[in-house]
Amino acid sequence: MALLQEIYKALEDTVGTQYICDDPAVLDSYSYPLTQTAIHMGPFFDIYTPRGEAVLMPGNAKEVQAIVRICNQYKLKLKASSTFWSAMGYPSGKNTIQLDMRRMDRIIEIDEKNMFAVIEPGVIGATLQAEAMKLGLNTHIIGAGSSCSPLASATSYNGAGPDCMFMGFGDENLLGLEWVMPDGEILRTGSLGSVLGWFCGEGPGPGVRGIIRGVVGAKGAMGVFTKCALKLYPWPGPPELPVEGTAPAYKAMLPDNFRAYTLAFPTWEAWADCCYQIWDAGIGYIAHRQFSLFGRELKAAMIKILTDPTKTLYDLEKLVQDPEIKKLNEEMKRDFQIVLAGMTPRDIEWQDKALDHILAETGGWKVAGMNEPEIRQWALLYLIRLGHKNLNLVYGGGYDGCFGMVGPPDLGTTHVEEVAEFKCEWERKGAIVDAGGDCMIGGIGGMGGGGGTMWENFAHFDPHDKESSEGTFDFFEACSRFAREKGIPPGMERWNAPSRGADGIETPTEDRENMLSATPQPSVFHYQRKIKEALDPNNLGDAYYMTLEEPKK
Amino acid sequence: MPLEDYQAEMERCSQCSYCTWIPLDRIKSRRFAKGCPSVAYSHFLSYSARGRYAVALSLLQGKSTYTDRVLDIVYKCQACGSCDVSCKICRYNLEPLAAILALRAKLVQDGQSLPEHRVLMNHLHKEQNMMLKPKAARGHWAEGLNIKDLATETAEVVFHGGCRLSYDAQLQKTARTAVSLLKDAGVDVGILGNKETCCGSRAYTMGYRKELTNCAARLIKAWTGAGVKTVVTSCADCYHGFKRRYPEVGSTVEVLHTVEFIDRLIKEGKIKFTKTIPMTVTYHDPCHLGRQGEPYVPWKGIEKKIRKQVIVYEPRRPRYNGAWGVYDPPRDVLKSIPGVELVEMERIREYAWCCGAGAGVREAYADFSSWTATERIEEASRTGAEAIVSACPWCERNFIDAAALRGDGIKVFDVVDLVNQAM
Repeated sequence: MALLQEIYKALEDTVGTQYICDDPAVLDSYSYPLTQTAIHMGPFFDIYTPRGEAVLMPGNAKEVQAIVRICNQYKLKLKASSTFWSAMGYPSGKNTIQLDMRRMDRIIEIDEKNMFAVIEPGVIGATLQAEAMKLGLNTHIIGAGSSCSPLASATSYNGAGPDCMFMGFGDENLLGLEWVMPDGEILRTGSLGSVLGWFCGEGPGPGVRGIIRGVVGAKGAMGVFTKCALKLYPWPGPPELPVEGTAPAYKAMLPDNFRAYTLAFPTWEAWADCCYQIWDAGIGYIAHRQFSLFGRELKAAMIKILTDPTKTLYDLEKLVQDPEIKKLNEEMKRDFQIVLAGMTPRDIEWQDKALDHILAETGGWKVAGMNEPEIRQWALLYLIRLGHKNLNLVYGGGYDGCFGMVGPPDLGTTHVEEVAEFKCEWERKGAIVDAGGDCMIGGIGGMGGGGGTMWENFAHFDPHDKESSEGTFDFFEACSRFAREKGIPPGMERWNAPSRGADGIETPTEDRENMLSATPQPSVFHYQRKIKEALDPNNLGDAYYMTLEEPKK
Repeated sequence: MPLEDYQAEMERCSQCSYCTWIPLDRIKSRRFAKGCPSVAYSHFLSYSARGRYAVALSLLQGKSTYTDRVLDIVYKCQACGSCDVSCKICRYNLEPLAAILALRAKLVQDGQSLPEHRVLMNHLHKEQNMMLKPKAARGHWAEGLNIKDLATETAEVVFHGGCRLSYDAQLQKTARTAVSLLKDAGVDVGILGNKETCCGSRAYTMGYRKELTNCAARLIKAWTGAGVKTVVTSCADCYHGFKRRYPEVGSTVEVLHTVEFIDRLIKEGKIKFTKTIPMTVTYHDPCHLGRQGEPYVPWKGIEKKIRKQVIVYEPRRPRYNGAWGVYDPPRDVLKSIPGVELVEMERIREYAWCCGAGAGVREAYADFSSWTATERIEEASRTGAEAIVSACPWCERNFIDAAALRGDGIKVFDVVDLVNQAM
């Protein structure tokens, strides 16, 4: 359904002719295939998110405010997205205006002394990091990689990543915020709301972090965030990442106060013990079980391919059969990666010594094969910049995570082998890549001394292949059942199922309510309903901001 | 490959938008982080490689039809290949640049071409050049050089002037210098003069594939008749055409860019410098010499799956990702010139920003073309360089025009010009 001419005209007058479009082909480039990284639902073969009525690219908060008011006036729904990574950034129903926020891509300020940056939605992790490093600072980059918007993850989604142990989660770093509320009012939160600057998220001034984010972020369904301040952290490296190498095998030639190791352990208990001891010791800059995303049987071969620009996936089969590669895979069965960054020469020596001590206590070791200069420098760059996260899709073009276990290390280590074995059975059926079952990746630690790990088992498939996509869907269904049977916490594979369904549109209310009622803490969704009723009276946002009616008395 | 054969890729695109940036590892600032001029200028995602995949799929599936906007999306792109490099940092089974070119070919085939391009093609058919100039004037640039005319003589090496250098009066000196350098170094070199035709490379990138085949047939025949073993050109577009497209239609001659040949001559001691040029310069990698200048590797094969769902190609498919382009020879030449100090821009080598002239954009979208060049001039200016040096007349023409508009006085040279000054 095309927009009424008067509505189009009103929107056009707001942003200018060149920043609005309703051409069907353009709208289809803002339509997302649900066989892709739908996070976390599906995959649904040959299903796309619905076309918006128009796509707009606002240039500032005033324009956003005017658009929101027009949407309220004409009862249009609104979906804002910054970097469009996953289905949640796209319309989930008819009569929706798509906002593409990439024009608003300014780094407004980096306050070196107080260690924060003020950014717009279109800023990505890589650009913010590059600018921060010039001042000896660094920014948290989420697990989805540095092509994503830090503002989006801080306000609108999970915000987890490999550097959480040093730089916290996205939402923890959120300071002052400029928010165009669903009713069109502009609210400035925290210290910004008291005209005291951006330095604090909660006061003096209104603190609305919980309100805007809800359970895991607003997901484009609670107004539009137009600026925010994010906390920055020390960067004890050069002002510019010293990157060398032939594409794609780029590597960082950082000074000796940076160390990148792959640690491995004789048992999963030892793996968990090492996490606890690392947190106790307060060492580490980045820690993540990252390269397992390629799979237990394929990871050493893939690292070989990625660090040698003459190699391609064609070499995979042969490399996998190489006895040295097999040996390395076996050695790295229970592993994770860690980056140490010393603030002084003494600091790095102490951290390394502490790590050696922890490894001696837990029986772990530094994997020598991953400490070859070419691989170590590649790993260092990979983990610091996170510019290779598209490797999630390297095999067949599709992936998603299942078994999302968030908790103390023992939670994941207790289940990792049975989860891997379960996935192995499904890999043999053929719909997903035969990678060795264990494709479990996740961060080691959150802020405040650590204490949490996150596990996500990647399944790789071919979104162009109906059997592969549908087989992957069946696998994820089976994962949910398996988790329930085994007492494993709810998996990521269906996190967003209450928001969008198999037809690409909003999940029907009854289905959504059934799902949310069955969660361990449904009251949070009652609160969110009250928040939505108060702040979004015309229901501009979609069901990604999850709400639940009061139980019938 | 026809567009339909890219449908699987369209559905396997990661939707990650890496194609809009330079490789993320290489980002040094917010200001110069973008890689794709098209989406940077036109903003909507539709103007990125991921967007063009989506638009193409929409067209193929009949969900949308040709509109002015669709034509704008398809043609407002220099086919510079930045998207291709950034995509392939992680992906081994997508070919976004090839798909974009296939989309153009489909539009041309369906009669959905641009009037500005049709004028060029009509002229190409009649006068065999892309400069709207008479064929009879093509060899005038070489008058007085006393160089072999390969229309009647034979030589080991042919110097191919190309359309821009042959007809652009301000740039012709580069061709004259290049061919003289070769001759003076004892190379058995000649030119085709008025018998030279357009290489067809730019026509190909505009979507006119048959035109490239026809141009190639004419030139290969002429080279064969003149006993040519090596073709040398100072034009990156021609270089790419000869190196990557011509082998597909039967060419077996060695292809060298002038900078490669001069680099070789300097290293062999056949070119010696006698003068100092006290100048700080920065080098702009032409897209078709750099990331698209990789050697051709013949391949015919099929897609297959290993490990159940890992997509590979049997036999091993060549991977054109910019890794093996021509980057060092021009830099080595510049560094060997006494007094010249080479400083680098932020976006270089395989992730260089485009000059803006390619694939018919200069002719059809003058503002966009000029904006793209101005962005590069701005980047060059920030290095403190007095001059931006390149190795392609299309880049140089766009930079000269953009620098004049900006009025900031940065000089524009071809590598060959500086070599000549130092001799």
